[in-house]
Amino acid sequence: MSQATGATARMIQDEPYYEALGNEREVFAAAYGNQLPVLLKGPTGCGKTRFVHHMAWKLQRPLITVACHDDLTAADLVGRYLVKGGETQWVDGPLAQAVRMGAICYLDEVVEARKDTTVVIHPLCDDRRILPIDKLGEVLVVPPEFSLVISYNPGYQSVLKDLKQSTRQRFVALEFAYPEAALEQRIVESESGVAPEMAARLVKFGAHTRNLKGAGLEEGASTRLLVNAGKLVQAGVAPAVACDTAVAHALTDDPELLQTIHELASAVF
Amino acid sequence: MADAPRQNFFNLIRVQKDLEKIAGAALIRVPRMQEVIGEIAELEREAQDFILHWAEVIALSNTELTAHFLGQVPAAFRALDQAAVEDWIIKAMDVFDNRGLGFAIEVFDKLDPWIEAHERNRTACKLEQIAGFLRHFVRALGGRTLNITNDQQAWTDTEKIFLPTALNVLADRAANGRLMKSTAVYLWAQNRYGTWRYRALEEAIRQLDAAVTWPVYQCLEGVRLMAAIARELPGLAREMEAVAYVDEAHAASWAAFTAAAAALAAPEASARDSLALVADFSQVPLPAARRWQGEMFPQKVREALFKRVPREKEALQQALSALQPEHEQQPTEDGSEAAEGTQAANRFSIAQNGQAGATQPEYELRYDGQAVPMSAELQDLLDSIMQDMGEMAEDYLTPAGGSGAYPLDESGAGGEGHLKDLPSPAGKLWLYPEWDYARARFRDAFCALTEQDVPEGDPGFAEKTRVKYRGLAKSIQRIFEAILSEAQRQRRQVHGDELDLDALVEAHVDRLQGREMSDRLYTHFRKAGRNVAVMFMVDMSGSTKGWINEAERESLILLCEALQVLGDSYAIYGFSGRTNKRCEIYRVKTFNEPYSTGVERRICGIGPKAYTRMGVAVRHLGKLLGDVPARTRLLITLSDGKPEDYGSYRGRYGIEDTRHALLEIKRSGIHPFCITIDREAQSYLPHMYGASNFTVVDEVAKLPWKVADIYRKLTT
Repeated sequence: MSQATGATARMIQDEPYYEALGNEREVFAAAYGNQLPVLLKGPTGCGKTRFVHHMAWKLQRPLITVACHDDLTAADLVGRYLVKGGETQWVDGPLAQAVRMGAICYLDEVVEARKDTTVVIHPLCDDRRILPIDKLGEVLVVPPEFSLVISYNPGYQSVLKDLKQSTRQRFVALEFAYPEAALEQRIVESESGVAPEMAARLVKFGAHTRNLKGAGLEEGASTRLLVNAGKLVQAGVAPAVACDTAVAHALTDDPELLQTIHELASAVF
Repeated sequence: MADAPRQNFFNLIRVQKDLEKIAGAALIRVPRMQEVIGEIAELEREAQDFILHWAEVIALSNTELTAHFLGQVPAAFRALDQAAVEDWIIKAMDVFDNRGLGFAIEVFDKLDPWIEAHERNRTACKLEQIAGFLRHFVRALGGRTLNITNDQQAWTDTEKIFLPTALNVLADRAANGRLMKSTAVYLWAQNRYGTWRYRALEEAIRQLDAAVTWPVYQCLEGVRLMAAIARELPGLAREMEAVAYVDEAHAASWAAFTAAAAALAAPEASARDSLALVADFSQVPLPAARRWQGEMFPQKVREALFKRVPREKEALQQALSALQPEHEQQPTEDGSEAAEGTQAANRFSIAQNGQAGATQPEYELRYDGQAVPMSAELQDLLDSIMQDMGEMAEDYLTPAGGSGAYPLDESGAGGEGHLKDLPSPAGKLWLYPEWDYARARFRDAFCALTEQDVPEGDPGFAEKTRVKYRGLAKSIQRIFEAILSEAQRQRRQVHGDELDLDALVEAHVDRLQGREMSDRLYTHFRKAGRNVAVMFMVDMSGSTKGWINEAERESLILLCEALQVLGDSYAIYGFSGRTNKRCEIYRVKTFNEPYSTGVERRICGIGPKAYTRMGVAVRHLGKLLGDVPARTRLLITLSDGKPEDYGSYRGRYGIEDTRHALLEIKRSGIHPFCITIDREAQSYLPHMYGASNFTVVDEVAKLPWKVADIYRKLTT
């Protein structure tokens, strides 16, 4: 089933670059040590996924990431029987795999998944720490090394895509925001390789676009977008063009706002 | 090749015949008739048809006028494009309607001035064309949100940026657009970099006199602000320099002046440094104003400042009182918590993040030295106050006392009173409680509410709306259709039009293992699956009069049409009222009623009434919505401002009651959402609706589109 969800378990060998925003590393480690599942909240592109990678490396556990979508069912997570040459064969889903190998399982954008996934998430996340597999008639007892991490973006306004209290109250919640200017500059610098001066300008540009949040834009430029723009600049693209292509058009289709962001880019450089 | 002259000849004959048919009588009066016909015959076929069409139209009004038109139209086509020619004709027809034949003939005959004006128009940049962009741009630059509006001169009062309706100083429209933008940015910089900071302003007004020393100050500030812009926004500064000067001597005079006042280019220089230099520079020749410099009106700024400062102070104090830990702000029964209040004053403090003089200084609010998480709105408020004051006075940081800020008069002095002295109303009467935050208790059966039908309005409005938003209506329809197709595919059905492969494999496995097979093996496309009920709660308070009311009605008409596609069950009610004794709910459409011309007429009849007593309306409509069987229930409020009613129902009292009412209906499984046009809504809506349950539409004209878009987002 790993094909269906695109998830693979992997050990992270090299240290993923991560700059702490606050004490989230200590909190995560403490939660992990106490077998508490973790909920990451925050806007897109602020470093949630990178943080999980970093923690998996630090804790030396394999990581299984599942990108949730609206057709993702409980069976996709737990596993199902397949037929091979007339024989039936059970294949573990990513969640069952993670439980068996004591990995960290990361469900990205969990609100997108179908509601029936809560059936398997709930018993994993309270003091029962079990994963029942109905089809096998088996109940996996979760080893202490296993950890469940989910993420979601509270900015989404759809009332149909809200995390239920019964789910969210099982988690230790860490809130992520865009890093403050100096830190963000360091991140853009080391991720894209641009000079400090250029990184500072990109960050300033990003801050300007974030002023437009709620006034036309749903979100301002994320750190990820700024890093992308930095990479283009580093590859020789003119800064204004990089901001246009990597940021402006990624943020909106509205011609007036495009013009605004375009002019902001040329104002900053 | 011999065909060409022959073709021309035929053209000539055809044009002459057509003209004779349409404007025969007029044609004879055209001077140089044959020549004119020849010139028309040489035009493109499209232009000829255009001329024939207009000749016919004008001939309906006046033959003489048609003759003058035909005499001039070839010349007009030589100088102008077709759209401009059409403008010229329309102008003449308007003049004919309003002032008579003589003046209209003058418009046609005096073609040259018209062409000149058109030329000017072509290169001019009109504010209305770029106001939307400028609004976004200035907002993105940061600081207090400044609205862009038009005036004779360019200036700012720290709330708005005033710009001329059109600029036509430079050679082409793009350059004039850059000049307009530069002007807006320069005025933004005055706000952002402290020209209008309270103390600097007071000192400047005291020390300078308008005629002699104020221009010196203006130039010195020009140097300082330009240095700040160049530091933070170098690209923009280059663009501004490029359009600033009339000639090289002008540029040189500024370069010399800037060099002389170089001290002001330092990042830490403030308006007061400029002020200190005024005496030194009073003998120095001043450079002429740069093109985007605009004017300065210190007294008007002062007025705006004096209005804003107390308002924001109060808002901050209220926000702090909400932030204060619960146990420390319990008001004692008699409301005497002054002692606690002063104690708390020393506990909030402000610290600045990042380096000084940065474009976007961020302020951090601390409580007992610990950083307090702030909402974006509070951050904006702090920024705005710091922008005015440059520092935070201690009294700003005193949380508002519970009941002190808005004394509640129960005596009825504010028009409120107990319900026993109620005039008996016609129709059914509901009684609702109201939340009094100061007492932390309900006032039982405090609000009397009646329902009534909205009188039917002018059905022409609906027709007009449909015509006006033809394109939009179609795209809304398409968006909604897309929602349906998204939710259509249902898996694991007993019947259906395609096999569900996953289910099939599973069933096969079950069979091999000797277990019971499922019969749900199909996928099915179906229109069901949506189970949404929506209540639109429309603000009918007096303040919606005019544009807002019109936009509300337009939005509803467009939305109703589109909602037919979705098949969601929905209702529309308006609310208003005056005092707790007369809360009124206006029925526009109930849940059970299908969309009909009657509903449409009632939408058209939605009009401004009295005040906005919101809490009771939320409770009543929440109850109606609660009775509808649906999985998802939405209460969408269209509003233009905060809850407010005659008497004590204003400020925090109204907000808290509304918030409480919203919490009550949330508990019963309804999702409230608010769409508002109030620019200041950021300060109270998050508190009432929660961080992501509202949206502010900054332009009334965008409301219809926004409402549909938001509806789509909310329900998918």
